[in-house]
Amino acid sequence: MDNATHTMLAITWFGLIGLMLVFYVVTDGFDLGIGILSLLRKRREDHDVMVQTIGHVWDANETWLVALGGALFGAFPDAYALLLQDLYLPVMLLIAGLIMRGAAIEFRHSVSHGVLWDKVFGIGSLVAAIAQGVILGKVITGLIPGELSGVFVAVSAVGVVAGYSLLGSTYLVKKTVGSLEQWSRRLALLSAFVTVAAAVVLTAATWFISAVGHERWTQPGVFHWLIALGLGAGLAFAYIMGALYLGSSNGPFRAAVALFFFSFVGLAVSLFPDFVPGRLGIVEAASDTSTLVFMLIGIGVIFPVMIGYNLYQYYIFRGKVVGDVRAGE
Amino acid sequence: MHLGNVLDLSRAQFAMTAIFHIMWPILTISLSAFLVLVEVLWLRSGKVGYYRHARFWSKLLVLNFAVGVVSGIPMEFQFGTNWAGFSRYSGQFFGNILGFEGAMAFMLEAGFIGVMLLGWGRVPRAVHLFATSMVALGSSISAFWIMVANSWMQTPAGVTVENGKIIVTDYAAAIFNPDMVWGVTHMWVAAIETGMFVIAGISAWNLFKRRNPEFFARSFKIALLVLVFAAPLQIWLGDSSGGSVFASQPAKGAAIEGHWITNKPGTAASWSLLAWPDKKAQRNDWSLEVPGMLSILATHTLDGKVRGLTDFAPADQPPMLPLLYYAFRVMAGIGFAFMVLAFWTGYVLRKTRGNLEQLLAQRKLLLAWVLCIPLPYVAVEAGWIVREVGRQPWVVYGLLRTKDAVSTVAASSVTLSIAMFLVFYVVLLGTFFVLARNWLRAGPDFTLNPPAPVKAERAAAVSEY
Repeated sequence: MDNATHTMLAITWFGLIGLMLVFYVVTDGFDLGIGILSLLRKRREDHDVMVQTIGHVWDANETWLVALGGALFGAFPDAYALLLQDLYLPVMLLIAGLIMRGAAIEFRHSVSHGVLWDKVFGIGSLVAAIAQGVILGKVITGLIPGELSGVFVAVSAVGVVAGYSLLGSTYLVKKTVGSLEQWSRRLALLSAFVTVAAAVVLTAATWFISAVGHERWTQPGVFHWLIALGLGAGLAFAYIMGALYLGSSNGPFRAAVALFFFSFVGLAVSLFPDFVPGRLGIVEAASDTSTLVFMLIGIGVIFPVMIGYNLYQYYIFRGKVVGDVRAGE
Repeated sequence: MHLGNVLDLSRAQFAMTAIFHIMWPILTISLSAFLVLVEVLWLRSGKVGYYRHARFWSKLLVLNFAVGVVSGIPMEFQFGTNWAGFSRYSGQFFGNILGFEGAMAFMLEAGFIGVMLLGWGRVPRAVHLFATSMVALGSSISAFWIMVANSWMQTPAGVTVENGKIIVTDYAAAIFNPDMVWGVTHMWVAAIETGMFVIAGISAWNLFKRRNPEFFARSFKIALLVLVFAAPLQIWLGDSSGGSVFASQPAKGAAIEGHWITNKPGTAASWSLLAWPDKKAQRNDWSLEVPGMLSILATHTLDGKVRGLTDFAPADQPPMLPLLYYAFRVMAGIGFAFMVLAFWTGYVLRKTRGNLEQLLAQRKLLLAWVLCIPLPYVAVEAGWIVREVGRQPWVVYGLLRTKDAVSTVAASSVTLSIAMFLVFYVVLLGTFFVLARNWLRAGPDFTLNPPAPVKAERAAAVSEY
């Protein structure tokens, strides 16, 4: 009875943290994607518009990562310690990217060095995305070094950069007009192809190379889930293509979010019941029942409120960005 | 593996990142509270000056907030990267509290700062005031949870240790641990003092230069009024906090005061006003003593027992005793100087009945306020040094030693991250000062007028950029 309760609480927290991760990846994903894409645009006016589309929300988006870090620390101290200690350098790289990106959004108003800070904005976003791809790849390969893992990690980094570019470009389609919007449509198409290609390679590699992954996927019931999720992702990809072709403003972004959502549920299903495949189980990494319950009272109750005022912020600043007023001024 | 090396490097990195990070939230806490105040004053009085104060100071807030956010990111993850032993050991409480901070405080700040900065004219006035209030509330809640977590490391309570990690048995006892009330209040008032000294100092600089004196006299007086109450309050809180240290962390208390030998029953412990504590010799090399004073200071009685450092094995005594000893004196000295300055200026203003010309004539007094701008930062950093170095050699006082808390990572990795942070901090600080100087030179914008009241329905129509 006690054990059953504890297992249920641990799985609930695994789900909540997964949800926070989806929120982070989708929302800061388009922020970072826009940063990466800004490296491809030369005109300062375009940078102004691109930053302005995220100026009011990027901070709250990034905060999902901070909330996630705290929740992981409290609910799964062993996983928090193992992951961060073993991933020291990629985590520091991620921190470096986020510092550069965040500082640049404010400091690009500098009269003398604004253009330089625009570069920092782009490079910081790229560095953060690569670091996240490396972390993802290393977690899936069970933190085991090796040549094959190295290739897997590299493909995962490409996949995350392309995926964030997809989110960023479809967000720009939604939020901008004119030549920037048209350009974003082309970039969305390109990054959708690269994202899906990377996902296919990673899926094949998990099936053919990873013993732990293969075993998990062939467990009864799991495979049906994965087929369903794969179909969902395929439909989302088709929707992105169709919506881009038909000139829809909001469709491509929505479909890109759906694509990410299906991929993440797929990832969670593949990892379960481990945090790190073959290294650390969800239940054994979890805190005691008293902590899980107390955290659920504190954070679970506030969770819908957090989502509520985040949505309100998007609502206030809805619509396309046309002017060239710099964010923060 | 040079574990000793990694331990020292990780301590250095934590000290560096914490010392840099804390400078920003303390101003965010007080400046956002000040913004709530001027916005309320504007809405109640309808005076456009208060509205312009809100707009002017919010630009400093956003600069400060940006550095605070980016320098805070490493704090959230360093416990895992560099202190995996600590994370495993105490995550069930400490991590839980950090999770509360992220969900309850950071999200509140981040979710509303966009509305506060860019929402003028886009949301109804009441909603804007609500957004400003949520930013202020979020930053104070953040301070609350951080001090709960830190005070628990000072005076852990409400937990048992099983299989090498803590399990929470009593949440109320863990949250309301013996140091918590003093830690939270002392830190929060320190943040308020910091912001008020920054506002008063910048205002005094403009008054000194006779730039927009009516405008800056207003912010100067508001900050001064707060300080007349906050400065003595802080001394009382500091004294009480010190009493709590002597009761619950006696080795830290003794180290702060360079007190080596426990006073015998019926006699009073003497207080060294100035000394040079020498850990190797287990005594002070020299000291200037006030007989009997330490019993009064530490226990508020004439002959209260104050345990000396020699009661503890040298391995259980804090390191770097002179640093602790003098950091404490710097902090306390600044605290008293603040009270004197606030009272004296209050007296001058009363005498001159708030006459602007007479205030502008007080050149030296105004200059003193300008020179005070860095001092609250010095005091806060000194206070944190006392708090954290004084807790050593423990990371969780009496339960977990710092050397058992560190991660197994390569020393070269930590060296690399230290170098990275150093570069970032120099650039961030430099850029902040350049932009803050531009902001200061530009001064308040007197062409700004409050946006027409927006009704909820109309907000939708206006929101097209």
